[in-house]
Formats: sequence, C-alpha cells, structure tokens
Amino acid sequence: MRSLGGLVLLLGVALLLRSTALSSLAARGVVLDVLAFTTVVWALRNGESSGATFGFLLGLAADLDAAHWMGRHTLALALIGYGVGRLNQTLMRDRAVTHFVLIVAATAVHQIWTLSFELGGISSWLFLLARVGLATAATGPLGTVLLAMVRRVSGRPIFGDVSFATDSAK
Amino acid sequence: MGGFLPPAERRSGALLGLYSILSLLLLLAGERIPTAALRGVGAWVFAPFDRMVLSVDRMAAAWRENQDLHQRIAELKLENERLQIAGVENQELRRSQGLPLARRFNLRPVEILALSGEVLPTSATVSAGRRQGIAEGDPVLTGDGLLGRIGETYDDLSRVTLITDPNSAVACEVESTGVLGVLRLAPSPHARLVLANVPLTDTVLVGQRVLTSGYSRHYPRGLPVGRVVRAVPDASRLMLEVEVAPAVQLSRLRHAFVIPGTRREGLP
Repeated sequence: MRSLGGLVLLLGVALLLRSTALSSLAARGVVLDVLAFTTVVWALRNGESSGATFGFLLGLAADLDAAHWMGRHTLALALIGYGVGRLNQTLMRDRAVTHFVLIVAATAVHQIWTLSFELGGISSWLFLLARVGLATAATGPLGTVLLAMVRRVSGRPIFGDVSFATDSAK
Repeated sequence: MGGFLPPAERRSGALLGLYSILSLLLLLAGERIPTAALRGVGAWVFAPFDRMVLSVDRMAAAWRENQDLHQRIAELKLENERLQIAGVENQELRRSQGLPLARRFNLRPVEILALSGEVLPTSATVSAGRRQGIAEGDPVLTGDGLLGRIGETYDDLSRVTLITDPNSAVACEVESTGVLGVLRLAPSPHARLVLANVPLTDTVLVGQRVLTSGYSRHYPRGLPVGRVVRAVPDASRLMLEVEVAPAVQLSRLRHAFVIPGTRREGLP
C-alpha cells in the first residue's frame, strides 16, 4: 500500500514538473527528461516488474497529457524500467557513476524513441541528435547530483537497503 | 525457454511482454482511441496543481514588477525634484519678462460611462456634470494626453466631444520645432487625425510629438495630443498632410480628468 502511494506520488510529481517548470525550460532549449529519470530511480529501487509497471503507467499518463498518439512513451519507459530493474542486481546501485550512466542511457533511449516519431529528413536527424545530446547532457549530471544530495541529506543509501526486496530476489 | 528462468523473472518477463503488446496496440490504434475524455480527467486532476504553480509564477512576476515600480518611483521622484526646481526658475524668468505665470491644472477625475461613434469614437459620456462644477468647454484629458472638451452638461453627467469628432478642431504645435497646425479628423480615404495648414517648407518628422499650442482658445498649452506617423505633401503640393496617431487609446478609456473652470478663469 505504501509502495502504491509512493508510486502515485512520484508519478504525480514527475508529470506536474514536466508540464510546468520543465516545459518552460524545454521551451528555452534545456530538456530535462524527468520521465526517464524517475523511471530509472523507481526501477533501481524496486526491481524490474515494478520498474516496468511504473514506466508503463508514467508513459500512459504522459501520453494522455500530450496531444499525440498514445503509446509513444509507454513502450520506451516500460522497457527502460524493466532493463534498469534487471541490471540493479548486478550493479553497485548507490555509486554516482552507476546513476550517471543509467540516467544518460535511459534519457538517450527515451529521447531517441519519442523524437523519432517526428522525423522527416536530414535536418530532423540533426535536430534529434542535438536534442538527445542536450537532454543527456542536462539530465545526466543534474539527476546524479540530485540523487547524491538526497543520499547526503538522508544519511543512508537510497537503493542499497532494498537489495533483498527486488523481484528477482523474491 | 521460460522453464529455465526463475518464477519471478518469468513473471516480470510476462509483464513486460504485456506492456509491450499494449503499447504497440496503442500505437497502431492511433487516433481511433477516444482519448478526449481521459485527457479531460487528467486536466481536471492537475488543474489545482497547475493553478498553484501559476500562482507561484504570478507572485514571482509581481515581485519583479514591484522591484521595477520601486525603481521607477525613485526615478520619478528625482525627476520631479528637478522639474520643481525648473518650475520655480521658469516662474521667476516669466515674472522678470512680464509674461503671465503658468497655473497648475486642477484636475477632476471622472469615469467614462459610454463611448459612441462609428469607426472611431467621437463622443464620450462621463460621470460628472453641472453639480460637480463641470461646464461646457472644459478640457478633458487622461494621463496619456488630450481627449477633447465638454460639449454638453447635465446635472450629474456630461458629454465630451472627442478630438476625433468631425467638428472638432485643435490648434496644435509640433514639439521642439514649434510647427503650427490645426488638428482635424479627415474622414477619407479612412478616418484619421490630420494636422492641417502646415506649409510644405516646414520640417515635420515621423515620431515627433504633437501638443496643444498657445494659440488654442479652448485648451491649455502643452497638452500631448499625439505623435506624427506620416508627413507627405497634400494634393495641392503647397501644404503638408501630417497624419497624427492620438496619444490616448480611445478604445480603452475607463477614466479621465476634467480641468474645470477654464472658461470662467481663463486658460492656465
């Protein structure tokens, strides 16, 4: 029940941030992929099943929020959630390098997938590359710093204390 | 294949398969899915949060605006100080030259109750009349500039003849150059204010301000009337046709000021 509450809260916060502060930043060219970031965080903490479910629900809500066809975000985020959830068994989950690599990879995958729907020629490919580069360059370091700050404030590992509660370990 | 995997992994794999199939179905279905109602629910759920964020945004904007206004007030106070010193100096100079002293305007605020007129407003009804000391001929202005003068008075209402009235004529001068002319409404080819009787030899530049001149029998000198937007020779090739954009936005009038008693006491 507590996990469900956390899921709803994180979904709400991510969507609210995306549709308000981050959308105004995106209009100025600074793309912070909060969807990919929150999916990575949730999947690292809760494992692949929960990660895939979180990614799917977040993607569904993001698709409903935007005025485009549904299904664009759901597939990419569900796959990211599953993939990161699977990897969390083999990675040092509380290392900043791990966070950085995962956030960058998830952001790149998510951005490439969602933006590929809008491609229409060479110039669009250049736009896609620029957008993906900007998004990973902004989201990766900022997400890593944010997680480091949370770890510093809370005084304990964010992901380490749930290593035996993940799906694969059950 | 599934038999080699632990049950938890099989379950998560099945879950991912389900989500992938659902996502692909959603993508294939495209616009055939009626999402308007769902989007409406989403908008309803997020509306309070959006309002909250909007309030914060407005507060931030108000804070910035407050800072700007504080700065503007400080600047205006300093400018006012300088103008008061210049005013005293001006009074002394006029006294020494034997010229009549300029009086300060006694402004009476009025509310614009109605505007009438086709294409451009030509008259306005204001919320003060004879009982409030308003008399026919009193000039009416806003913070931006001249509006017109009182044409008819009633007990608690008055009717203002705006400078855009076809029968209105305002003696004006172009700021800094002192070029004189009479501002009238030219109805064709489209309704616009034109400064007439300006000789072709006079220099009038686009953007210069047009003020009431000292030759006006109805208005005090120096009230802003408008700004030159076009100056071309007229059909006779002897005079300039100077088109003037009014200083006051006539379509957005809410409040104005009357300078009462100008007929009785003379122009300031």
